[in-house]
Amino acid sequence: FLSRGVEFLSPFLPSKGTKRWQRLQIRPLLFFLSQKGLCFGGAAASMAEDLVLDTAIRDWVLVPLSVVMVLIGVLRYFVSKLMRSHQAPDLKVVKEGQVILRARNLRAASGFIPAKSFRSRKTYFTNEENGLLHVPKGQSQNAQAQMFSDPNLAMDMMKKNLSMIIPQTLTFAWVNFFFSGFVAAKIPFPLTQRFRGMLQNGIDLSTVDVSYVSSRSWYFLNLFGLRGLFSLILGEENAMDDTQRMMQMSGFGFDPSRVIA
Amino acid sequence: MAVEGDPRASANKSLGDAVDDLPIFNVDNLQSNIKSIYYSRTFLSIIGGVIAGIWGFTGFTGFIFYFIVMAAASLSLAAKAKFSVHAYFDSWSRILVDGIFGGLMSFVLFWTFAYDIVHIF
Repeated sequence: FLSRGVEFLSPFLPSKGTKRWQRLQIRPLLFFLSQKGLCFGGAAASMAEDLVLDTAIRDWVLVPLSVVMVLIGVLRYFVSKLMRSHQAPDLKVVKEGQVILRARNLRAASGFIPAKSFRSRKTYFTNEENGLLHVPKGQSQNAQAQMFSDPNLAMDMMKKNLSMIIPQTLTFAWVNFFFSGFVAAKIPFPLTQRFRGMLQNGIDLSTVDVSYVSSRSWYFLNLFGLRGLFSLILGEENAMDDTQRMMQMSGFGFDPSRVIA
Repeated sequence: MAVEGDPRASANKSLGDAVDDLPIFNVDNLQSNIKSIYYSRTFLSIIGGVIAGIWGFTGFTGFIFYFIVMAAASLSLAAKAKFSVHAYFDSWSRILVDGIFGGLMSFVLFWTFAYDIVHIF
């Protein structure tokens, strides 16, 4: 176990100091990499210093980190499903919603009824005095204001925000604590030198190619890239995407004067 | 898992009113169509990422590969909709450019992952 730990902590493998079987692996790998360096004409200059990274990094850093993030996402999805407070829908809101649905159906199916009956139905809805959908100009409330004045919805949003922030913070702290100080991965495209501080936080060598990143950047890459995967395996409703949440939220506050535009 | 091959549920119905000429879209069908486009693009960006990593694309070649895959996806989606986009969606932009940049991050993640596992093992 101790030797494994030493291997784990020293990713830059010079040929001496490795076990013999790894040396045998490294030599054909270096040959292969140098060939690739020659083949990619223009990119050869930036790939001239190909580092050979320990296979233990693959086994013990990249894959576990991805697996942990996927599992945490699935866990958060189920926890948010369990914790969702069931609100009894407001009668007035439901009534308004049904009226709007009826008006929308009327508009969609208007080709099938005589023009006179369509007009009479239309005046039923939009009549100035007692039309169901007629909202005087000054009275229409902003959907956002309605949303925030309703304490239940505000609590729900708070809970969702928290349920997103806490696992992210915990995972980030875990990554920083355990997986810092070594090169974790190589991103396949070159970046400018400005990204060096951001991507290579634990690595103190300034001559290493910026493509070799630390595990913190692998964490961020996973964070953004796994959203698509979550939408595939968890169905439509998962708490990852902010814009989706906002769209869901705005669907609850009915603004009658705005829906029929 | 071949999301791309899913048949479109049904086209939206666009009926003109006697009063105004706005086409009304059947919201459920439109949304399910948009969702299936989204799933197709996500799935293809993941698979494209793994392929790009295994083949060893680096730098701009990889991004060009991603946009080629997305363009091929757009083309086949348009062909599946028999090129009469307005029967299925409300605008051309949905089927052509929507969701391309959302899939970019997944592509980069899986590209990096596959590239590292295969080439820098």
